[in-house]
Amino acid sequence: MNSTDTKPGYGVAVISAMLLSGAASSSCDFDTDDADGPDFLDKIIECEKQQSSRDNSEGGSKASSSVEVTKLYGEGSLTASGIVERPVAAPGTLSHYAKKSFVARQPYSLRPDAKFEESVTIAIQKLHLEMAHYCARGWDIQRQWTEANSQQQGDFFLHYQFRCTET
Amino acid sequence: MNKLALSAAVAATLGLASNSFADGPIDGTIYGKINVSVVNTDQNSSDKWKLNSNASRLGVKGKTKITDGLYAVYKAEFEMCVDDGDCKGQTFTQRNIMGGIRGSFGTVWAGKHDSPTKLAQKKIDLFNDLEGDIKNTFEGENRVSNIIAYTSPTVSGFSGTVAMIPGEGADVDGDGIDDTGLTDGMSYSLSYSKDNLYLALASDKDVDSQDLVRMVMQYKIDNLKLGAMFQQNEDNQGTKDESGYFVSAAYKIDKTTLKAQYGFIEDDVDGDEEETLSLGADYKLSKNTKAYIFYTDNTDSEVDSSDDEDSSFGVGMEHKF
Repeated sequence: MNSTDTKPGYGVAVISAMLLSGAASSSCDFDTDDADGPDFLDKIIECEKQQSSRDNSEGGSKASSSVEVTKLYGEGSLTASGIVERPVAAPGTLSHYAKKSFVARQPYSLRPDAKFEESVTIAIQKLHLEMAHYCARGWDIQRQWTEANSQQQGDFFLHYQFRCTET
Repeated sequence: MNKLALSAAVAATLGLASNSFADGPIDGTIYGKINVSVVNTDQNSSDKWKLNSNASRLGVKGKTKITDGLYAVYKAEFEMCVDDGDCKGQTFTQRNIMGGIRGSFGTVWAGKHDSPTKLAQKKIDLFNDLEGDIKNTFEGENRVSNIIAYTSPTVSGFSGTVAMIPGEGADVDGDGIDDTGLTDGMSYSLSYSKDNLYLALASDKDVDSQDLVRMVMQYKIDNLKLGAMFQQNEDNQGTKDESGYFVSAAYKIDKTTLKAQYGFIEDDVDGDEEETLSLGADYKLSKNTKAYIFYTDNTDSEVDSSDDEDSSFGVGMEHKF
């Protein structure tokens, strides 16, 4: 079928439909010009996944395994509290992966005999070091959650899913 | 049924559909931008002021999960003319409209859309939609009807798109015979992207009566973004055989981005030349809003004829939503 410009009435109908259909939830970081970029398909998928992630998060759901994120930790488990799974960022190694999403985790303990190095404060400090390592110019924490360490009662993993800022 | 009633009926139907069958969040987002500028154009010593809409637009896009790893993807974008409400006699005109299926195999999509060659240009054109838009100087900036395309997944930074454009009875290759095949026009692109580097090679065959090859490079060094394009194209009538280049640079200083770009193309058939030079600056007012100023000079030099010179300067604002 040869193309023709949209007729006014139908154009109004389509726009009205868009506005009234409930599709207007534009809280994701999609840049309008991304729609004309060579990777516009990736942007649509990525953005809508982020949207779903936010919606799930707001609804109290655990979340969004579908978001394309890079895990910064291995599958190995801890046998004792306080063992760092991954070296934290070394000074001078900072870089910035604009708009990339990552998930980092750090162990901590709530056991009464836990050492200070095993506290949630130190876990948060280490997570911030990791975020600064990958997103030197800033980041947005998209989700955070905690999972119990099945091998040690009272021990947990604190997870941060974060995304580097655009610039 | 009059148009207003039809609009309301369609809106109500789609609204009902969305709310009745959606499982979880609605998979769609409205987006767009308003880009208006006040411009003084001086064409061969005759100047005038005007308000431009600069491809202001409204769109909806989204994806819907079909099964694990398989999605329907869609985008429908319309231009709106905020300066006078008249888009070639219409309220809205169609921009990129597509639908497709995306899986681990890539994406198969179709619609009316920018060709892979145009998409491959990325954003090296720093004065896109303004007087300095490279479409005013270079061929290959085509939004194509009846496009059927496949885009590969990105593997190690590489991605490719191939598009077929049926002629639907038009004589797209200029041989005097109506073209009715599936691949009467073709457009391809191969790109590589890693960290701050972007490279692309693109080609058209019998698209807008042109065969074309284009190379694009973009590199970002801290606050400096550099772009370059080389292009060779010839029309299928044998009346044009052009080759040219384009370079651009943007330098960001806090909220201000200084921009410059230059392009030159020469026709080997008749010796005609075209040049475009643009200088400007953007000032970011907020994340989605900027003000800008620019100056553009487009010159069309024909052999045995005086130059056709068109210069413009303007100030404008763009708000994305």
